[in-house]
Amino acid sequence: MIPYCKYQQGIHTEIYHPNNIKPISVFSDIISTVEFNHTGELLATGDKGGRVVIFQREQESKNQPHRRGEYNVYSTFQSHEPEFDYLKSLEIEEKINKIRWLPQQNAAYFLLSTNDKTVKLWKVSERDKRPEGYNLKDEDGRLRDPSMITMLRVPVLRPMDLMVEATPRRVFANAHTYHINSISVNSDYETYMSADDLRINLWNFEITNQSFNIVDIKPANMEELTEVITAAEFHPHHCNTFVYSSSKGTIRLCDMRASALCDRHSKFFEEPEDPSNRSFFSEIISSISDVKFSHSGRYIMTRDYLTIKVWDLNMENRPIETYQVHDYLRSKLCSLYENDCIFDKFECVWNGSDSVIMTGSYNNFFRMFDRNTKRDVTLEASRENSKPRAILKPRKVCVGGKRRKDEISVDSLDFSKKILHTAWHPSENIIAVAATNNLYIFQDKVN
Amino acid sequence: MLAKGVKRPHGEMEGGDLEPRDPGAAPASSLFNISMVKLHQSLRHVEPNLRHLVLVANTLRRMQDQMQREAGGPMAPDSPEALSVVDSPAPVSDLRDSGLEPCRQPPSDSQGDDLLLSSMDSSISTILEDLGQVEVLSPTRPEEEQPLAGASGARQEPARTSAPCLGPLELLSSASYLLEDGLEDIFEDIDTSMYDCDLWSPTSLSGFKAFSSAEDSDSKALAGAEDRLDMSDLDYLMDVLVGGHAL
Repeated sequence: MIPYCKYQQGIHTEIYHPNNIKPISVFSDIISTVEFNHTGELLATGDKGGRVVIFQREQESKNQPHRRGEYNVYSTFQSHEPEFDYLKSLEIEEKINKIRWLPQQNAAYFLLSTNDKTVKLWKVSERDKRPEGYNLKDEDGRLRDPSMITMLRVPVLRPMDLMVEATPRRVFANAHTYHINSISVNSDYETYMSADDLRINLWNFEITNQSFNIVDIKPANMEELTEVITAAEFHPHHCNTFVYSSSKGTIRLCDMRASALCDRHSKFFEEPEDPSNRSFFSEIISSISDVKFSHSGRYIMTRDYLTIKVWDLNMENRPIETYQVHDYLRSKLCSLYENDCIFDKFECVWNGSDSVIMTGSYNNFFRMFDRNTKRDVTLEASRENSKPRAILKPRKVCVGGKRRKDEISVDSLDFSKKILHTAWHPSENIIAVAATNNLYIFQDKVN
Repeated sequence: MLAKGVKRPHGEMEGGDLEPRDPGAAPASSLFNISMVKLHQSLRHVEPNLRHLVLVANTLRRMQDQMQREAGGPMAPDSPEALSVVDSPAPVSDLRDSGLEPCRQPPSDSQGDDLLLSSMDSSISTILEDLGQVEVLSPTRPEEEQPLAGASGARQEPARTSAPCLGPLELLSSASYLLEDGLEDIFEDIDTSMYDCDLWSPTSLSGFKAFSSAEDSDSKALAGAEDRLDMSDLDYLMDVLVGGHAL
């Protein structure tokens, strides 16, 4: 529990965006997940050390219009600790793989956070009053001598400095043999699913000692294993429908009404391989690292190593849109395989109106694609380029030939600076970008 | 990605250090070596990153298929399935740059190819079979032994140089991660979701000691101190287990 205060260490409060921008960078462990809540008032980050940091948007104030909607630290807590599995003699990482918010139903906030093995439900609530005037103990909590008590008084609630406390309400453990890669809250708000490499389990929020297995792709003989689950998500409106993606570049849509074990998909999305682009690495670069439903529920977006694809749920044989994220890497696949970068799992996000999609790349670049105008832009999340209220300049990667002044050549890209996690405010043009251990928040400035 | 204590091999680089001399091409044998190294590193973890493992293994299989095709028909460069670029001009620059020109080995080397292929074949099969064989350790799954024995027998025959890169024992110890079904069967009669306090009472201490120590005589000799040690271990374990269920 920490008292409500502004985060002191390492904050820039400058503003920039494609038109006018504002980043906040925070120093912490390597950030491993970023997620806005359903109103956009809160932004949660999880890191490699098992910590969760929640930012809250400041209320707009007429006195300080330039500080409109800044995000400040609201709560910090240790969600997961490193664990030791005695049976297998291995340490379970405390890194937070995913955070998902529950919709707000009362004054408290609830979120799910997960590491490789265990999902936890956290309650984050405020306390701004405390009882005073106990009879049997004094203000410090020490017991009073009963013989000294001469009169009774009724304890009253008095205001206190705001305290934000996070408490674990449920722990969903021992259901995953393999590493959890996704969690998704169902639109019924009563259930959620957790997916690991080979299985997907359905949970009820109230029941922690039992879950239903709804997808199991583990082969009878492990030597036949050729495909793993890479991501999974519930449909935003239909509580019986979910999708999961695979390492072979396929997406399966399943209907839980059809059978208890959803091993047979209702729909199967796969784009045929382009024969002119075949290589040893075809499968690796087709492996889907993230899948997201659009807010409307009509489309799904998938991210593989080089592209983003948008699929119409009614058309399974090919995507309706394909966007090249960093096609200049296609000729570098061999080296990227050697240094394991080819296995990086980039996430992708929709904006609130499903008109713009965003994903990360290397060199702290991230890309946005406007689905309507077909325009795209490359931006950089970097402290060097940040000035108060500076406008973020579009970046360009030079593929060959003469390099222009502001361009960067492919060979100069820093592959250790990767933006894997981004988030978009549900209704406004505010984005959160995690660049290793720095968090940048960009927003449109309105004059 | 790396197991503790494992030295990063020379081939792995981090940062923007892409090979300057040649954008993408690498000989198949070196790609194969890199892949085998990755596979073994993956398996050294108690719980390997399954996605990484599967993708590398599939890539190795692709290389194997490619090399088999190359060895089978070095005189057929127009084969529609050939992945490598031999004589075709420009538009397949993508192919070339993505490291496919490997297999330009002279025909005289076909013997070497055969050996490489067969050892690759047996290596990948052996490794993946052993991943599956760990499940055979469970006594309640006898039906799995039959097909596995049959499969491994069939696979071992065509290998002329049976030189698997990892001994099966090494793999078994590192692949115990995949033993989960066997474990479930072994402990089938124990309800692990609600730990009974009686199970951990001092009266059952001897059972716990048999599980954890090798020599009965030794443990009896050190009974006093070990009892205390085991009790605190038990308490700690109990706290961990019960603590996990606190709401």
